[in-house]
Amino acid sequence: MYELFFQKFNEKVPLTKEDEVLFKTYLTPKKIRKKQYLLQEGDPCNFTAFVEKGALRSYTIDEKGVERIFQFALEGWTISDLYSFLTGEPATYQIDALEDSELVLISKQAHEELLKKAPKYETYMRLQLSGAYIAMQRRLTSSISLSLEERYVAFSSLYPEMIQRIPQHMIASYLGLTPETLSRMRSKMTRK
Amino acid sequence: MKTKQTIAIIGATGTMGSAISTSLAKGNYRLLLKGTRQEELNALVAEIKNRHAAADVEAAVCHTDAVWEADIIILAVPFAAEKEIAEKIKEVANQKIVISIANPLNKTYNGLVTAPDTSAAEELQKQLPNSKVVKAFNTTFAADFSTPVIDGKPVDAFIAGNNEEAMQTVSEMVRTAGFNPIVAGDLSISRTLEGMQLLLIQLGNKYNYNRLAGWKILHN
Repeated sequence: MYELFFQKFNEKVPLTKEDEVLFKTYLTPKKIRKKQYLLQEGDPCNFTAFVEKGALRSYTIDEKGVERIFQFALEGWTISDLYSFLTGEPATYQIDALEDSELVLISKQAHEELLKKAPKYETYMRLQLSGAYIAMQRRLTSSISLSLEERYVAFSSLYPEMIQRIPQHMIASYLGLTPETLSRMRSKMTRK
Repeated sequence: MKTKQTIAIIGATGTMGSAISTSLAKGNYRLLLKGTRQEELNALVAEIKNRHAAADVEAAVCHTDAVWEADIIILAVPFAAEKEIAEKIKEVANQKIVISIANPLNKTYNGLVTAPDTSAAEELQKQLPNSKVVKAFNTTFAADFSTPVIDGKPVDAFIAGNNEEAMQTVSEMVRTAGFNPIVAGDLSISRTLEGMQLLLIQLGNKYNYNRLAGWKILHN
């Protein structure tokens, strides 16, 4: 239920058995089925969700009803609306499951208590947030300065598994392309 | 809240369980019903869907999976059965809201089987130390769920627990069921709440309330 969570945690900050026992008391195991919402826009996001198994995405929907995907999360990733989680303001993203998934949630309340109680959690969180910042900067740079084709190439070399598991029209939305453009680009690239 | 919360109701085919399930089905909840008699359970699911076309409800096969999926768990089982189920769901109910509706009545309905310095809810909390145990729906009879307004007044439904966020969530559920939620205090207040239902049952038998009775606090 928490195997991958603690494996990833230990890669960042080594834990003793006692630490794991303590941390476990603060974690919420949660199963979610494909297409179910974990968060809807407007609600406060009072959790971070670590993916033990499955796949999720966070996204917004514009006035025309077009989905714009911000992030995908496969096994070992964490997904949340960090803006809402950190400020307590209503969420601007929705999060739903792309596959039946098993998650480890850390509630805002558990997060605050662990920050006070466990220095190792604080270190882990600092690394998690740094990671999220770096990923965001990368994403911003790529969308400002790379061509559409370069964006796709960079994405598929960084995250080959996502190309396999996530529907193409969603990858197109993530990269800011129309599905038609993505499909044209892919066939052009395979011809090369 | 816009995001649909999932509620696992254990003991859904019982009198209280089916009343709670039916009344919560009209709210923005996804209900996973678990009962010991699968046929009755399927019939209940069909009946709820028939009554509320938009209801998001299904029969669960296993305790663990239902509770694992749930955000909130309602143990709609007698006090004597609570312990065994709590043991089964302990791990998957970690950090979740677990509602205890049980009144620990003795066989002759003239006293409680719990010691005076504890309650069914507190015993459950001891067994599930990392869950947020809340006492609710214990001062309301099953018949009240279809008639939550008696004598022109919405019946009060008392809630006790130690986690403020959980109390808000449960208050909303109580309101969905049509009752007037009153947060009574921390979990130790459950002793009083369980005693209140003992009294109401005794009075009901004495004065023939036909199981359609509830508490109402009159105040200015």
